[in-house]
Amino acid sequence: MAGVSLSKIVKRFGAIEVVHGIDLDVAEQEFVVLVGPSGCGKSTTLRMVAGLEEISDGELTIDGRYMNRVAPKDRDVAMVFQNYALYPHLNVAENMAFGLRIRRVPNAEIKQIIADTAEILGLTNYLDRRPADLSGGQRQRVAMGRAIVRHPKVFLFDEPLSNLDAKLRTQMRAEIKRLHKRLGATSIYVTHDQVEAMTLADRIVVMNDGSIEQIGTPMELFNNPVNTFVAGFLGSPPMNQITGKVTETGAQVGDTVIQLDRDLGGLAGRDVVVGIRPEHVSLQPGEGTTPLPISLDLVEPLGSEALLHARFGDDNLVFKTDTNGQIEHLSGIDTVHVPASLVTLFDAESGRTLRAGG
Amino acid sequence: MAPRNTRWTRAVDHLKREWQIYLMLLPTIVWFIVFLYKPMYGLQIAFKDYSIFRGVANSPWVGLEHFETLFSNDQFFRAVYNTIQISALNLLFGFPAPIILALMFNEILHATYKKTAQTIVYLPHFISSVIIAGIVITAFSPTAGIVNTLLGWLGIDPIYFLTKPEWFRPIFVGTGIWQEAGFGSIVFLAAIAGVNPSLYESAVVDGANRWQMMWRITIPCILPTILIMLIIRIGNIMEVSFELVILLYQPATYSTADVVNTWVYRQGLQSGQYDLAAAAGLFNAVVAFVLVMAANSLSRRFSRTSLW
Repeated sequence: MAGVSLSKIVKRFGAIEVVHGIDLDVAEQEFVVLVGPSGCGKSTTLRMVAGLEEISDGELTIDGRYMNRVAPKDRDVAMVFQNYALYPHLNVAENMAFGLRIRRVPNAEIKQIIADTAEILGLTNYLDRRPADLSGGQRQRVAMGRAIVRHPKVFLFDEPLSNLDAKLRTQMRAEIKRLHKRLGATSIYVTHDQVEAMTLADRIVVMNDGSIEQIGTPMELFNNPVNTFVAGFLGSPPMNQITGKVTETGAQVGDTVIQLDRDLGGLAGRDVVVGIRPEHVSLQPGEGTTPLPISLDLVEPLGSEALLHARFGDDNLVFKTDTNGQIEHLSGIDTVHVPASLVTLFDAESGRTLRAGG
Repeated sequence: MAPRNTRWTRAVDHLKREWQIYLMLLPTIVWFIVFLYKPMYGLQIAFKDYSIFRGVANSPWVGLEHFETLFSNDQFFRAVYNTIQISALNLLFGFPAPIILALMFNEILHATYKKTAQTIVYLPHFISSVIIAGIVITAFSPTAGIVNTLLGWLGIDPIYFLTKPEWFRPIFVGTGIWQEAGFGSIVFLAAIAGVNPSLYESAVVDGANRWQMMWRITIPCILPTILIMLIIRIGNIMEVSFELVILLYQPATYSTADVVNTWVYRQGLQSGQYDLAAAAGLFNAVVAFVLVMAANSLSRRFSRTSLW
């Protein structure tokens, strides 16, 4: 296995620059997820690593080797595509063997590798079937099998689960995680689904408009987003963001001053965005909490939890709360309690997180 | 009481809802009726002693007499043999030509060069067969033709290509390829354009070169289209390009050039034996029908691809 290093990588299509000099180091055996909205450059970045797109500027190394002008086949990477890219005329075994046949691996060896991989992926009974005769999940497994059989240095995944339904996606997510633990392969995974990013990644790279916004572990990004974009992108539902102003005693939103557990005296008077995670509020007052009056619009029961859609001034807010099997009591909610330690403040102008002392 | 949801009421409802689509279909249906189904009424003259003055309905039945005449006629058998020979050569050389061209076009990366090359090879399709025949006759002329001029440079005496029976089939098949291969490649280019690009990207990552991608991805992926076109071609195996044969052949080359359609034309229109010509035409149609059914069922059995 090997590490991957991107240094000041730029991608231009004609005069249009779509990736603006990104830096990223993926350690050996690490599972890194590139996440961001459509058009943020995450797939283009992955394709540059694969060699499917030329690198306009910057330097790419895999296992310490300069790769910019190395052909895809010589980079020792394997890629799993969004639409699986299975050859419709070949059966499962032949699909998985394709890369090995191209590399002239002896037949007996191919047979053994296919059998072993099929066993890992639970495809042994489907080896004679063609892709058209498989379910979405099975096709996805074949696509992964095709990557695994090559024993590449780096696995690249380009939104591999986006064509699956929600249930299957959850199942396949767990399978990918298990597989990564078992194979210990360096992996770069692209998705626009923040749940996939949070559950799979050792580290998440949040991209926006061709640049990296933040790199960190899932919990680092969840708890300490560097700006409103990352805060709004990670978490489901996303972080509530209310415009306000820093005061001597806290952050004022509307007529309410939300208490904070840090001293922001030096920032008094500054316009801010107050970030409150939906799951961080409570329905009962507690130590260090501030009551926030809301006007409840809608209760969405999810089973063990419920989403409260509410209005606060001009802002639409969403809160998440446990139901304990009951939702009737939620319809009368007119106040939620915001804990001082879990409020994030962002500069209203730049969107960047404000720490104590500015 | 609610109306009964019968098949008839469902059909009427469907027609009311989708009448615009059926209206668009109408000209095609009319065309089929007028030009393909109505003439079938006249097929009965293949079993009659047809007279223009008595008309189709009043001509007396003669059973299979015309078929007996046909099958005892050496010239008819020669025409059938020539038809099959020319069609077989067309199938062997003419059928793969557009596929090869399409694969070659697909490998051209320079957009302008590709468009120019495509335009050049599509052009002959739009030229009338009469002009095509004129070009061929001129090119193979023993006095001023470019072919004989080139042969002359190599010290070879002029050959009277179009009067020699052994040269008719190669010239005819070659002309057909020149005229139609380019235009015929469009359908295969369309099929190639439909191949999922990520199959190629995946193959590139796996280490395949362009040659391997062509053999292992492009050709297998367009195989259903190739098979459909082959079935259609087999259905037309008895239909050799009638105009071009008429324009290029002459009595000296009848032994290899006279095909069923030209024989029917001479017997039916020039000699006035419409009933015998109808019998020959019916024979042609039955053979084509059997062939296309057989090809379709074989294709369905072995490749899961079929016309119906």
